[in-house]
Amino acid sequence: MSFRLMIKTMLRRKVVTTLLLVQLALTLALILNSMVLAKQTYERLQEPTGLDLANTLLIQIKPTTPALRLYPALGELLERQLSAIRQLPGVVAVAYTNQSPLLRGGNNGNLHKVGDEERNNVSTVPQYYASADIFQVLGVELKSGQLPQVPQSFDSDSSPPLVVTESLAQKIFGSDNPIGQVTNQGTIAAVVGDFYGQREADMGMYNTIRIAPLYGVDWGYSLLLRVEPQQVVSVRSQLDNLLRQVDSNIEIFHIRTLQEQHQRLYNTEYGLSVLLALLSALMLLVTMISGYSNAHFHVLKSQQEIGIKRALGANKVTILLELLAEGWLCTVLGGLLGVAAAVLLNQALALVISIPVLNGWLVVLTLLLLLLCVTLATWYPARIATRISPATATKTL
Amino acid sequence: MEQLQYYFKISLISIKRAPLPYLLTVLILSLGLGMFFANATFYYRLNSDPLPQKSDKLFFPMMLLVPWDCDSGCEPPPVLSYSNVQKLGSSGIPTAQAAMYSSDSYVRLDSKQQPLPVRLRLTQRDFFQLFDVPVLAGSIWPDNSARYEVVIGKQLAEKLYGTADVVGKSLLVDDRHFTISAVISPWQMLPRLYDANNGSHISDTEQLFMPLETAYDLNYMSATMSRTMDDTDYRQLSTQGRTGALHQLQFWVQLDTPAQQQAYRDFMLQLAQSEQAAGRHPVHINNQLPALRDIVRYFGRESGDVKAYALVTLLFLVVCVFNASHLSLNRYISNQYEFSLRRALGASRWQLQQQLLVDVVVLTCITLVFALLIGAASIQLMNYLWPFNSLFASWDLSLLSALLLLSLGCSYLVTLYPSLRASFGALNQQLKE
Repeated sequence: MSFRLMIKTMLRRKVVTTLLLVQLALTLALILNSMVLAKQTYERLQEPTGLDLANTLLIQIKPTTPALRLYPALGELLERQLSAIRQLPGVVAVAYTNQSPLLRGGNNGNLHKVGDEERNNVSTVPQYYASADIFQVLGVELKSGQLPQVPQSFDSDSSPPLVVTESLAQKIFGSDNPIGQVTNQGTIAAVVGDFYGQREADMGMYNTIRIAPLYGVDWGYSLLLRVEPQQVVSVRSQLDNLLRQVDSNIEIFHIRTLQEQHQRLYNTEYGLSVLLALLSALMLLVTMISGYSNAHFHVLKSQQEIGIKRALGANKVTILLELLAEGWLCTVLGGLLGVAAAVLLNQALALVISIPVLNGWLVVLTLLLLLLCVTLATWYPARIATRISPATATKTL
Repeated sequence: MEQLQYYFKISLISIKRAPLPYLLTVLILSLGLGMFFANATFYYRLNSDPLPQKSDKLFFPMMLLVPWDCDSGCEPPPVLSYSNVQKLGSSGIPTAQAAMYSSDSYVRLDSKQQPLPVRLRLTQRDFFQLFDVPVLAGSIWPDNSARYEVVIGKQLAEKLYGTADVVGKSLLVDDRHFTISAVISPWQMLPRLYDANNGSHISDTEQLFMPLETAYDLNYMSATMSRTMDDTDYRQLSTQGRTGALHQLQFWVQLDTPAQQQAYRDFMLQLAQSEQAAGRHPVHINNQLPALRDIVRYFGRESGDVKAYALVTLLFLVVCVFNASHLSLNRYISNQYEFSLRRALGASRWQLQQQLLVDVVVLTCITLVFALLIGAASIQLMNYLWPFNSLFASWDLSLLSALLLLSLGCSYLVTLYPSLRASFGALNQQLKE
């Protein structure tokens, strides 16, 4: 099995070899970038959110009549809904809030220490107006200060006290004690553990919470429930009917777990990853067909040559390895071209989507995958070649 | 004609002789075309111009009329306040102009009915002229003043009343009585470019239109983008919304001629300078006047995922064409003897090329059917994964014609080299093989 002879054989079929090399290169480029994108999406979905995703239910809801969207009728509706939900077996805690966590965008505003806007203004921070049980529902830990217990209206003389997440407090106040500090949104009453708010915020973990009546429900509001682990399905199935029994003048947009909400947050990336994975699989299939066809045709055309080799002493294993080695050589050469194509494709994709740069071990992994597929594709034609009798050589005489 | 039939017969015999390689060629080419075509459908539709006759005459003016200071690098807000619209609308230059935003509402015929959720467009009279909205019956509001009159889409009218003949009838919008002043014909502006600042251009067009002044009086909040830049309470549109820095309006002007466009730019510059002099505009002037056709790009709302997938499906198509060429080459080389024999018996190269052109037509027809099936399946998958783009999934004659041409081109490319190789070359040697 001579490397030089293999190169010569490939050069003898320049067009076919070139077509195969281009296919292998483009296949590797696509698979590599698909893997990078899939890895990024997976990592995002695995990022810590600070929330109990599986056991927290989210209901997005809106009163359908204008009267029910205004206090005091709204306050009464909320109280009736919360009490009814609390009666359900398996519900640990329930709270209303103007918006749920794990959103793309929503209600937000800037936050800075009064008198220090120039230095430490954070421009986009999600703002939650919620009932007092929100901390228990979210399962966030109190880090310092005291959590407000009674809803305080925005329309009162002083604004409601502010609860901020730990990373936001760190960003604005650094090593200073944030409790009692005055911000443009109110005085800090407590700091709680981080949880994921909005993708379009300055940072996912920056959040402010105020225990207050809902500021307005023209966009609807959320009910968040913390449920015992074994009861999620059962509680979820009862919620729609229960809320309509409490008051039928409502529109329920959706009832879902925070796990589902989290997945929806990355649905465009997830969709693209699935489509690229499908395309990569098809590309591998196409490449395998090409590899099979190339090897099969080569064997058919080289029967006499193989027969001569067999007559001159080459055993079946040698013939098998020779044909497989041709496929491997082609794959490695195509793979080398493919790495360059993958870098170019990665740069082109980075112009329109967020995609990380390629890394070394993924290149090796993809190349091994390609080698495996090409080996599988050429195995059968190579086996056929081993069955060529040395007597075939006599036909050339 | 007989000759043509003969070529078709030979082509079919050739397929029957080695069906598997042919089927693989068709399968691979169809996969490439189908996947490419599915995404091309979305790409084409998302980037299409819904108003080609006037998309270069409609403009969205934006200025830095904001209550903060900014020395450089500040972009004008993508939504305008009511008072800024008043200023930008005072020029008298545009042929037509309208401010607008969207909100959510519930409609019903009487209080006993279940309310139906409906997306509202809160706008001014010229909206219908600006975007060529076809009026089926009735008349649009005579001016921009507040009135309890709505314009309704034909589909919504039929859903509520069972008929489109509803002009003058009463309707409860959020439990307030409104009269229907006009009905618009089924109308779809895709993409809905007048609502691009928040990426809502991929949503369906509204079915209910209410005068902007009425909406402010009734405190309808924006359902898409709303920014409060001072102490204005965004719930109090009727009392604070017209004077405070509550930005939620889109504003479109129609400027038909280059002279009108230049005059409006000059007007915006003068307005910025006079606002600066009054201390209501930062030092840095950054007036923007993007046209309707550029608005999605201006707001950075182009779909990166569809673009990325378009690039990848194009690569896939290239690979499939290479692969099909490869298979086709093997098939033709296997049939080399037959070709050479026909040449030896007197067939000219042109006659062989005619045979190959017939092969191309047959390949195109079969491939087209499979490509359409694969394309339709792929569109279903894309609709499932990206439901927000589902309005853009339909095919029209121009798209299908493009697919036909593409299939023909790819089939020709796939057959070109093998056919040349089979038709040319040393006849003696070919016959010996």
